[in-house]
Amino acid sequence: MVSLLHSMAAPTLPRRALLAALPGLFLARRALAFGDGSRFVPAVAQHAGRWNTRLSGLRRIAWELQRRTSVEVVAEARPLSLNARLFDYPFLYFGGEGDFPPLAQSEVDTLRRYLGYGGFVLADANDGSSGTGFDAAFRREMARVLPASPLQPLPSTHVVFKSFYLLDSAPGRLFTHPQLQAALIGGRAAVLYSQNDLAGAWARDEGGDYSFEVVPGGEAQRELAVRTGINICMYALCLDYKDDAVHLPLILKKRR
Amino acid sequence: MTAGDSTAWKLVSLSPLPGWALGLLVGAVVLGVFLAAVGLRREPSVGRRLLLLALRTVAGAAALFLLIEPGVRTLQVARVKNRMAVLVDRSASMGLPVTPGGGTRSAAVAESLLRMAPGLKALEERFNVELLGFDPALLPVSETVLRTVPAQGVRTDLLGALRALRATDTGGSKKLSGVLLFSDGADNAELQGGVSARARAELLALGFPVSTVQVGDPTLLDVALENLKVDDFAFVRNAVGVEVELRVRGLPGKDVPVVLEREGQVLGTKTVHVTGADETTPVSFTFTPDQTGRFVYTLSAPVFPGEAVTENNTRSFVLKVIRDRVRVLLVVGRPSWDERFLRGLLRQDANVDLVSFYILRTSSDDTQTRNPERELSLIPFPMEEIFDAKLSTFDVVVFQNFGHADQQLSIAQYERKLEQYVANGGALVAIGGDRALGDARTSYPILDRALPVDPVGQTASVAPYRVHLTAEGQRHPVTSVLPTAAASLAAWDELPAGSGVNLVRAKPGATVLLDNPSLLLDGKPAPVLALWEHGRGRAMALMTDDSWTWAFTVHRTGDPTRLYDRFWGNALRWLVRDPDLTTLQVSADPPSVEPGTPVGAVVTAREVDYQPAVGAEVTVELSSVRQHRVVATVRATTGPDGMVRVSFPGQPAGAYRLHATAKSGERVLGEGEDAVAVRTVGPELTDATVRADLLAELARDTGGKAYHLPLQGLPELPLLDPPVVEVGRSKDRPLWDRWEWLLLLATALGLEWVLRRRYGYI
Repeated sequence: MVSLLHSMAAPTLPRRALLAALPGLFLARRALAFGDGSRFVPAVAQHAGRWNTRLSGLRRIAWELQRRTSVEVVAEARPLSLNARLFDYPFLYFGGEGDFPPLAQSEVDTLRRYLGYGGFVLADANDGSSGTGFDAAFRREMARVLPASPLQPLPSTHVVFKSFYLLDSAPGRLFTHPQLQAALIGGRAAVLYSQNDLAGAWARDEGGDYSFEVVPGGEAQRELAVRTGINICMYALCLDYKDDAVHLPLILKKRR
Repeated sequence: MTAGDSTAWKLVSLSPLPGWALGLLVGAVVLGVFLAAVGLRREPSVGRRLLLLALRTVAGAAALFLLIEPGVRTLQVARVKNRMAVLVDRSASMGLPVTPGGGTRSAAVAESLLRMAPGLKALEERFNVELLGFDPALLPVSETVLRTVPAQGVRTDLLGALRALRATDTGGSKKLSGVLLFSDGADNAELQGGVSARARAELLALGFPVSTVQVGDPTLLDVALENLKVDDFAFVRNAVGVEVELRVRGLPGKDVPVVLEREGQVLGTKTVHVTGADETTPVSFTFTPDQTGRFVYTLSAPVFPGEAVTENNTRSFVLKVIRDRVRVLLVVGRPSWDERFLRGLLRQDANVDLVSFYILRTSSDDTQTRNPERELSLIPFPMEEIFDAKLSTFDVVVFQNFGHADQQLSIAQYERKLEQYVANGGALVAIGGDRALGDARTSYPILDRALPVDPVGQTASVAPYRVHLTAEGQRHPVTSVLPTAAASLAAWDELPAGSGVNLVRAKPGATVLLDNPSLLLDGKPAPVLALWEHGRGRAMALMTDDSWTWAFTVHRTGDPTRLYDRFWGNALRWLVRDPDLTTLQVSADPPSVEPGTPVGAVVTAREVDYQPAVGAEVTVELSSVRQHRVVATVRATTGPDGMVRVSFPGQPAGAYRLHATAKSGERVLGEGEDAVAVRTVGPELTDATVRADLLAELARDTGGKAYHLPLQGLPELPLLDPPVVEVGRSKDRPLWDRWEWLLLLATALGLEWVLRRRYGYI
């Protein structure tokens, strides 16, 4: 796996180049401005636990989305309470470290309506937990939000693994769970859940350095984590576009 | 009533004894003779034995004669005058000429009947001769009628006519002794395929002989299109098959082209090389209708000199072209929430077949890949395929925030095709954004002709605004999302604030349904949604990329109206001209008629709010497609249900279009179109064949004889003899009451007794 990850490693972007690119991003945004309404803005769910440890990662993945694809973004992470304002942001990041208290019933109801009407949640166990900590708490809350749509493993044939990059696993800062979990509503993955701390692989500190080591694959794994993030954002924006019949023959040929 | 009186006689028994008693007596006499024979079996002399037995037999016979009391009954009798029917085919094929340019088959029958007149007169001594036609109902005719009144029966049913004739045979003077049938044998009913076993049994059961006279020349020259097979309806953009049989007689070695046209437009030609004297060749066409509606299609073959029938060289049919699913091409400049919610809606709509292409990456994007071919799932944008080869297969093309300057993504070379696609009946939607309409990175001046708006030359306004439903929008089916205008207005007013609009002006003739009242352009609110008709097609422009909030953000407080779904549903139906979204509909009723039959149409008029338009003034024009002119106009007023039925006089064969307009007061309610076919030829004239074999078989099965014209007089006809009936009182003359019979009895008995004594038996 490691050798594969190395072979997939993309050119790294020097910190100076990144800093130099930031003003350009803002300039470009202004030139293309048509209001922020239709841009991709990662909203971040505020809950009573440690919800805000990966905000820089979300800014980073939005920036990568802008750089690598034709999607226009607002490279911010917008913290939101689980209330009606959610409906201004169809993409919601729900992450955390460790256990968090149960959501209020109104929050559960809002989240259920949000997902039912087309909202998308990317859940991320920043602590890499499994059966404890954030994982246990999130699964507990999801059982309340979508009791009829339990989280289930997402096969590598799902469109999220080909929505932009061709991938076959979803590593993050960790690589303990190769596959994502998903809660499906009418065939649409309304919730995608990673236990590998995706945003941890994306996060940078104020100096521009990556905040966390990526294990076990190092920088190649980080690139795959970014690509996974890009694919997830693309899936949130394009749904099953890459499952259209017109794409399948070429994609299957590439996968051979 | 009768054929003449005569006297007849017969032997009868005058005995008062009942029949059973006479039977017993006969038995006793036979027994007596038998016992005598038994008693004489040991008599050695054969002569004695025979003598005694003869005497006993004579005595017995004499006794019986006296007991039975025979007599002669004389009576006056007469023969009943039965019916003999001359049955003449009055189907339309009898109007065909016997020889090219000659008289009709009916006229030939009339002439033949004149020659047969003496013979028929002679038959009238024994039969009541009736001259009947069948078309297929029986009706009295005369030679004059045959000569002057065209035969117009829509089918030939020989067995049906004979069956009907048999039903008039109620016995007695109504009994049929025979039929003389004049026909070309061109049966297109039960005997079309020949005489089946069941038909033969029915012919045998008729009980009278049918002699046939074949009318017409079996060796004719004719080109006919027969046995047309096509469905009543087809799906737009799906291949339709048409099958027809080309029958060519008397033209060996000729090449005969068959042409398929739709209201004057040639769709295909197939040429058949004829080798035989009478050859039938199946010809099939496949075509793909590109428009919904009802259309008249015509198959035709050329008319050759000397053809027996020219009408059967052409066949017309009406095909209703419907859509199966609305096929939408969605071309997206880049992924966005506006695209995501539109895609979600279209994908879940079972009536929509969605084909989409998104620009996921431009040349300025850095994908951070060493081998993009293997690492990316992207495919080349197949512009040539979708904007050239397959463009006509789409009902609606949607450009969503699409307007790239990148050469690889520019559709400049296809904009003329796209504009023509709309002008020829397609539908185009342009959805705004920071790369579209006035904010596009490049301009497509030719394609822009199809759109209902012109950019004002400024970048988009990003000031928050609230969308407003215009007065036109309150009445238009696209934005009438709720049953009443007030409810629709409220629903649009309650939408979340938008984040920006492209700045455009509505073109003259465009209808603005939504606007931005907080932003004025030329003193008027900036258009947000506008539409119009371009050529035969329709186009719509939505000057914002935040319509996704109508689908999602609106749910933060609940959304009972489902406005977004209804809006796009209505828009697609309007764009593809869903008949249910037209305020005026006209339908041919029926869709095809026989030549000369009145052409009917039903007009349904509705107000802009889709309520029945009561008392609307409707004008319906009937136009000949071939002549390109209006041939009849009818005006009428709709009833309480908004409907009215109109009728046009019968028209010559061909394709026609109905065009209806309606006004309610000074307000125009709209217009509608439909097609109607006046059939070139019915089943009767399709086949000019003279079927001598069928007529001969029919005669043979019924005990008749088969002849063909010309005949110089009445031929020999097998006819049943009329039965004989008593017409006067009978008179009996006894034969038994004479002394000679008693003397014979006594002598025989006495002589036998004397001889038996002499021979020792007594």
